[in-house]
Amino acid sequence: MPLMRLTGVLLAALLIFGVLSIFWHDGVPLWGDASLKTCGLGRLFAIDSPSDTTAIVPVAAVDSAAATPAVPVVARPAEPDTTAKTILFVGDSMLDGLQPRMAAYAEHNGHKLYGVRWYSSTTQVWGSSQRLAGFIKQYKPDYVIVCLGANELFVKDIKEKRQRYLDEMVRQIGSLPFVWIGPPNWKPDTGINEMIESTLPRGTFYLSKNDKFVRGKDGAHPTRESAAQWCDRVCRWIVAESAHPIRLDVPKKKYANSTKTDILQPNEK
Amino acid sequence: MDFEFITPGQPLMMSSGTFWLVMIVFLPVLALTGGRRRLMTVWVTAVSVLMAIKGSGALAMLMLLTAAMDWMTAHAMSKTDDPVRKRVMLWTSIACSAGLLAYFKYANFALATWHDIVGGNFSPLDLVLPVGISFYTFRTISYVVDVYKGKMRPVDSLLDYVFYLTFFPCMVAGPIVRARDFMPQLEQWRPAVERDVWDGVWQFLVGLVKKAVVADYIAQYTAIVYGNTTGYSGVELLVAVVGYAVQIYMDFSGYSDMAIGLGRVMGFDLGVNFDLPYRSRNVTEFWRRWHISLSFWLRDYIYISLGGNRKGKARQHLNLLATMLVGGLWHGANWNFVLWGAGHGVALCIHKLLMPRLKAIEDTRWVTVASVVATCVVVAVLWVPFATADMATAGDVLGGVFSRWDWAYIPVMASVRPLLLTVIVLAIASHYMPVRWLEAAKQWFVATRWWWRLAVIVAVVQLVLQFAGEDVQPFLYASF
Repeated sequence: MPLMRLTGVLLAALLIFGVLSIFWHDGVPLWGDASLKTCGLGRLFAIDSPSDTTAIVPVAAVDSAAATPAVPVVARPAEPDTTAKTILFVGDSMLDGLQPRMAAYAEHNGHKLYGVRWYSSTTQVWGSSQRLAGFIKQYKPDYVIVCLGANELFVKDIKEKRQRYLDEMVRQIGSLPFVWIGPPNWKPDTGINEMIESTLPRGTFYLSKNDKFVRGKDGAHPTRESAAQWCDRVCRWIVAESAHPIRLDVPKKKYANSTKTDILQPNEK
Repeated sequence: MDFEFITPGQPLMMSSGTFWLVMIVFLPVLALTGGRRRLMTVWVTAVSVLMAIKGSGALAMLMLLTAAMDWMTAHAMSKTDDPVRKRVMLWTSIACSAGLLAYFKYANFALATWHDIVGGNFSPLDLVLPVGISFYTFRTISYVVDVYKGKMRPVDSLLDYVFYLTFFPCMVAGPIVRARDFMPQLEQWRPAVERDVWDGVWQFLVGLVKKAVVADYIAQYTAIVYGNTTGYSGVELLVAVVGYAVQIYMDFSGYSDMAIGLGRVMGFDLGVNFDLPYRSRNVTEFWRRWHISLSFWLRDYIYISLGGNRKGKARQHLNLLATMLVGGLWHGANWNFVLWGAGHGVALCIHKLLMPRLKAIEDTRWVTVASVVATCVVVAVLWVPFATADMATAGDVLGGVFSRWDWAYIPVMASVRPLLLTVIVLAIASHYMPVRWLEAAKQWFVATRWWWRLAVIVAVVQLVLQFAGEDVQPFLYASF
């Protein structure tokens, strides 16, 4: 019976993918970074691996944790930390607009600001490398700001594809206080904002997508002026609402230079 | 666990993993019917109706209602000799089928257009488009018209007609198989022999690669660019224009291939729906090769019904335009589809006008190449309004290709999106490679041992997996 033989072949194929996905859940390694992606039964039945957010210890009250168990919560100090900080500001090309204004804040408030702009970067790019941990080791920051996600607005099945890289980034930041600035959407995203927000502890994610922006000629990046206003909103939020408030009084200067800026090109490993 | 099958609201796509699982249950039961046609009909109809319910929920009943109504209409028409009564029955049936399609697909479009004209606030009706309504409406209209014209006799069994109208491989995206081609096959149905089964599997796999690998991957890029055209250079826009022409062919023809392949596995010949359309030397030939079941439907039931070329040149051109406008609107309820249809209508008219002069040109290899390139350019440009949300965006894309052209973007594009360019180039190359190569590959697959077939299936599914995990880089930065 030809149809029975076809069914047998389909079952055998299903078995192969099932076995592969059981033994190599994250893909079958080939050479270098190359790997055969697996999903098999796991994807067919949508079995998600739990997100690793153990680096951030939930310290909030049991009630609020029970209400939204997926989001870890860090307790917000009663007063902002007014000590001088060494801030590491990492992200994608959005730092072109944000960083000069953030540097003005840093200079005015006695902080040091190290910037790392990795053009075209994504959570996948950062999370599949040890660059973030390397920069943390190099600059020894006591505060981290991340602005990432603009290059992942339209990634389909985002949670399935990027959750583990986001988790890895959070793991590399470790116990350092940090805030994450969400992407300035120019179109509705496919879930990047929701993924980041649901992964990070409450008070560490600034949702930018509802802000109003004046876009540059590419229609995506805010103009320098608009990015400066965006930075002002972020800084007000850090002081007033974030889980890690630090001193960020409004500077008199519009822009300033950072202590140091590293530039990484899209294809750098 | 999340079983896609029991979640109503989304059609079960043939390129999904869940469909694979369903087939593992469906095929053995089909085999167990053992060539008994009635049992096969019941089983396939049951699965088809379940899939319709999965896609449309209660609205799937509309398809059954249409089937019952047109089955009865066809019988009633065949029993009367009164031409007026027959005509009334025919038009009542067409009005009901087309009316349902118009209501679900075009009501909001019509209301929005009306409000644009007279002003005022427009709140759209809460309408859900039943899955496959555009396809089964055309199929059922062709049946009733064919019975009316005496080109086929009415289908004896209502179950057979429901089988035809709900046949799940054709449900979501065609082909628009006509009853007069399909019903004789159903009446004389025999289970597919070994050769046909593997022939069908091969065609299914080819379609899967076209749809789930090529089309879906390129779609990421075109969606990003057409979603915000202002930010992109001329080079990127040109790649989007070419990429979309490749994507839409791979998407439509890929899904058709899967349907036709599955039909063959089940013992049915659903015909050819795409015959290498980008090899066409003019727009008229393009429409003989593109979505053949639709274009021939439009020809037979709209163009010829309007008079075709029998009422003079001017009327012929008008008929062409009207037919292509219907074809455009059939694809979607938006002005950009109307513009696309009108563009093709005008292109067809121009070709008809130029035909005497074109025929005078000696047919050399270079003339053929130039004709194919010119046809592809016209078709690709006309895909732009089809793909973009509004006409302003379409204009921005086509204008931007020239006004924002910068040669410096070419090497950057190649370095940042090498996979995208490779996929587009390979897809184009595959379209122009000798047909006998693909035929030889199919013959090998059909004749080879089972473990080779298994290896091919595993390789194709792995390819789909690999590409499903690949994302297209949305921006070019580098030195810009």
